Amino acid sequence: MNKSLTISIFCVLFCFITFSEVSAQENFFRAIGTPHQPKVEISWNRYNTYDGVTEILQKIVKAYPNLARLESIGKSVEGRDIWSIAISDFKTGNPDKKPAMYIDGNIHSNEIQGTEFSLYTAWYLTEMFDELDFIKELLQDKTFYIVPTINPDARDNFMKEPNTPHSPRSGMLVLDNDGDGQAGEDRFDDLNDDNHITLMIRKSPTGRFIKDPLDDRRLMEVGPEQKGDYEMLGYEGIDRDGDGRVNEDGIGYYDPNRDWGWNWQPDYVQRGAYKYPFSLPETRAVADFVMKHPNIAGAQSYHNYGGMILRGPGAEEDVDTYNKEDVKIYDAIGKKGEELIPGYKYLVVYKDLYSVFGGELDWFYGGRGIYTYTNELMVSYLYYHKNEGRGNQEEELNVDKYLTFGDAFVPWAAYNHPQFGAIEIGGFKKNFSRAHPGFLLEQDAHRNMAFTIYHAYHTPKLSIIDVKEKTLGGGLKEITATMYNERLMPTHSSQDLKYNIERPDYVTLNGANVIVGMVVENEDFNKVKEQVQNPSKISVTNIPGLGTVKVRWIISGGGNYSIKVDSAKGGIVEWKK
Amino acid sequence: MIKHLLFTLLFGLFWFPLIAQKNYSTSQEITQRLQKLNSNTSASLTSLTKTEGGQDIWVLKVGVGDLNNKPAIAVVGGAEGFHVLSVELALQFAERLVNQHPEILESTTFYIFPNMSPDAYNQYHSNLKYERRGNATKEDQDRDGSISEDPYEDLNKDGFITQMRIESPMGDYTLHPSDTRVLIKADRSKGEAGSYIVYSEGIDNDKDGKFNEDVEEGIAFNTNFTYKFPVFHPFAGDYPVSQKETRALVDYLFDQWNIFAFVTFSPANNLSEPLKFNEGDAKKRVLTSMLKKDVATNKMISELYTKTISQKAFQQDNQGTDGDFFQWAYFHFGRLSFSTPGWWVPEMKAEKTEDDKNIKEESKEKPSETKQKPIITKESNFMAWADEQNLKDVFIPWTTVSHPDFPNQKVEVGGIKPFVMINPPFTLVDSIAIQHTDFILKLAGMQPKLEFHNIKVEKLSGGLSRITADLFNNSPLPTHSELGEKSRWLRKIRIDITKDKKEVIAGNTINLIDKLDAFETKTMSWIIQGSGNVEIKAGAAHCGIATLNTKL
Repeated sequence: MNKSLTISIFCVLFCFITFSEVSAQENFFRAIGTPHQPKVEISWNRYNTYDGVTEILQKIVKAYPNLARLESIGKSVEGRDIWSIAISDFKTGNPDKKPAMYIDGNIHSNEIQGTEFSLYTAWYLTEMFDELDFIKELLQDKTFYIVPTINPDARDNFMKEPNTPHSPRSGMLVLDNDGDGQAGEDRFDDLNDDNHITLMIRKSPTGRFIKDPLDDRRLMEVGPEQKGDYEMLGYEGIDRDGDGRVNEDGIGYYDPNRDWGWNWQPDYVQRGAYKYPFSLPETRAVADFVMKHPNIAGAQSYHNYGGMILRGPGAEEDVDTYNKEDVKIYDAIGKKGEELIPGYKYLVVYKDLYSVFGGELDWFYGGRGIYTYTNELMVSYLYYHKNEGRGNQEEELNVDKYLTFGDAFVPWAAYNHPQFGAIEIGGFKKNFSRAHPGFLLEQDAHRNMAFTIYHAYHTPKLSIIDVKEKTLGGGLKEITATMYNERLMPTHSSQDLKYNIERPDYVTLNGANVIVGMVVENEDFNKVKEQVQNPSKISVTNIPGLGTVKVRWIISGGGNYSIKVDSAKGGIVEWKK
Repeated sequence: MIKHLLFTLLFGLFWFPLIAQKNYSTSQEITQRLQKLNSNTSASLTSLTKTEGGQDIWVLKVGVGDLNNKPAIAVVGGAEGFHVLSVELALQFAERLVNQHPEILESTTFYIFPNMSPDAYNQYHSNLKYERRGNATKEDQDRDGSISEDPYEDLNKDGFITQMRIESPMGDYTLHPSDTRVLIKADRSKGEAGSYIVYSEGIDNDKDGKFNEDVEEGIAFNTNFTYKFPVFHPFAGDYPVSQKETRALVDYLFDQWNIFAFVTFSPANNLSEPLKFNEGDAKKRVLTSMLKKDVATNKMISELYTKTISQKAFQQDNQGTDGDFFQWAYFHFGRLSFSTPGWWVPEMKAEKTEDDKNIKEESKEKPSETKQKPIITKESNFMAWADEQNLKDVFIPWTTVSHPDFPNQKVEVGGIKPFVMINPPFTLVDSIAIQHTDFILKLAGMQPKLEFHNIKVEKLSGGLSRITADLFNNSPLPTHSELGEKSRWLRKIRIDITKDKKEVIAGNTINLIDKLDAFETKTMSWIIQGSGNVEIKAGAAHCGIATLNTKL
């Protein structure tokens, strides 16, 4: 009697549990291309502070220990860890020897969404590894080094302290910007205590602006012969040090994207340069990491604003660095990006933007031979698919009113200023215009991730597609091995070849006595180039994209030999007889 | 009497090491001399960092009182490791400054960096002596994938790395017509054949056809700076300011706001002759010519140098090399920057003989016959001078050796010894050091000097006073170099008046002026309401601070 009661209770409980499990599974239905039951649940319609970023990274690593590994690559000015998460299938080879894609975000503190896009990439790759064959193969072949924020101190300052959409831009060093011997003596002042630095206007008979009678958020410029009501005073602040200027010396000023070691120029040539390349701890940490990981073949550094997919040269003086072959590869990948991210345009920095010396993408390509893009995220096209340009007031006020219901704009309100008298303070908030509004974030993250995946996909993939054996007599055999690179990028970019930036690829034959070794330049006409020193380990300068290289040995002794290709950016491939 | 004796004894002790010194100091001896200077109250010794080879990068800061707000000169030695004279000159300057010229510290502060290449410098005292540039880091100089795979070899086991010559009609070199010890390049334009292939002493370890192209040296200090950085070149590295010693130095310099000029002892020379002004290059965004006003300043200081130094310039054609320190100090750090090797081999003029006179008369009659001009190279001039000076120990006679890479050819090792062409015999150093100390002190005497003149206090009605004063730069040097004006790393001239904003009716409590040229005046005025003491301070750390005190 007791026994059957226990069993019945057990059965009921069991059914209840399985029933509720089945109920939980049925809560969600797959939307194409997105994990619908991720192990790590993240909301992609908001931004994360440094603590939030750290927590997400730790969660991903905890959920996927065989796919993700966290490392601090250095410390920021204020002592925060700069996190790098390596994503790869650790079970299929050493991730530091696979062709790798480097991604970072937020070099400029106020350009925050690159961090979310980087996190999205790390999350997506791990969550979809078991779901999609493409992602699985991608992570077996490649490694992603993702550094979500390379300016953690000032990221938090942008978010937690009053700022404009454009500040601080630098890290948290406080420098003397006006040459008066003092540093940071006149920063912004959040007069209305709303955590945003907006604009000050004042009624003035000589003002050139009026408020739109139909929309009192909007300031309109009057015609040249008309009388206005308001004058623009600038960003919120007071003259703290009594030198007659407002907000002239705050955090910074310097630009971390002028601190890189390719064609670096000092401040009087390139505004924002600091003392010398990698004089900032954050950029130095990235440089040290890149020097330690010669397997990095492609890179992306996220910025905002503009809807651009940028390649170098950064400065007109550097035009010779980018030659035809490499430009072809840049074009192929860049134009694909335009397809994947409508509204974004593939452009060249010095030509379509402005000349920049000492930029990150210049060092990555010029100094390390890595194919690198910078995407300037967010563009007004994303609001209404109209090309109204940047900062079109009407369009932005429309977004504020009808899509974000007043969340983007601080209405004009009176304030009594100690120096300017009766003024009004108002304007767009710091997290509008450069930063995506929440509802646009995930789509753009996914599209930009797709672009970086395409880029990563085309880092070299090597295979030994053919090994021919020919008996020569006298106990000698001729072995000809063909290596094939099935992706767009060569193992050495033209810049790499020009300066011997990276070591050659080595093709080694083991397990036989090698008498002669050579590179076959043309098999049809038997043109070969002998390598006299150390013939069993042939130095190959480059394996081109969608190209082959043939290597030949004359060996004695039979037996089972093996061939190994060891390329810094192409990875390691082996073949056994 | 006893006091006098004691004083002489103590004073003598300071001098004893200088008198006893017979050769360029070892790194240990340099440290000892610096530590001795450190015991003076005016001097403070700091190690900025240790190199990869474990050597200290020393800086000796010499000054008194408010030394951070007095204009300062930085003196740098050891920019090149093989230029041992430069270290001695910097060190002897420090010793003479501290021991004999303390009065100058009232107006000027000094920073002495005696040796910026200590790892390479030590090769001078090691068992195998050769002119070394690179530090102790490991570097793949020829970028072939292997590190230091082709070092020097001392084939004739004499403790020196000199040259080797291989007899061959395919060679570029031939014997000097009047001095067979010296090799010169065959003049191909005249159809001259060569007889020797010349390399530095060693074997081709990695059998790549090049000799000693990847030696056991790292990065050279004087090729690691950001101005015209020769990226990927041997001894330069992958990016500038990559070494511990260069970073430590630059980080330190950026914190010393009072430096207005650099005097560097290095092979480059812009003191015998100033740098040239190139209008086109001066207009480019990336500046590669000194600016016009600064060239004029350079010229003025060059004249001071040639007046103070007795040696006449000869073969001083090195005015800077890519990535070097002395150009960085001007083009990127915005300060006045001067460099001199300190000593060079003087010109040995060819003697006019009877034969010459006859030939000259002959050529008047037969204009088609021209006499060949005497061939003068750095080596031939040096050997002529060495002969005149009776220097015995500067040349290794050419001796045959057997060489594995040239088994069937005649190979000889020999040539001019390392170090001797750029570093004089030690007996000459004292007078060179005295003259260069004199030059630096005279340069300090010319430093920018701000003064207030023509101070007027006018009483206006209503309790108002107008204070007028002329701020005058009483110096032949400007407060800022023309380039320094543009740089954010030089402070502007700041004028502060110690009165409340409310009491200053006209004028600012803080004024900033970009610069004052040599002997330039700027008139300043304020209208103050009320009475009391007024103090006006004007200046910046690198051009001094003038103070005005008045009572209303």
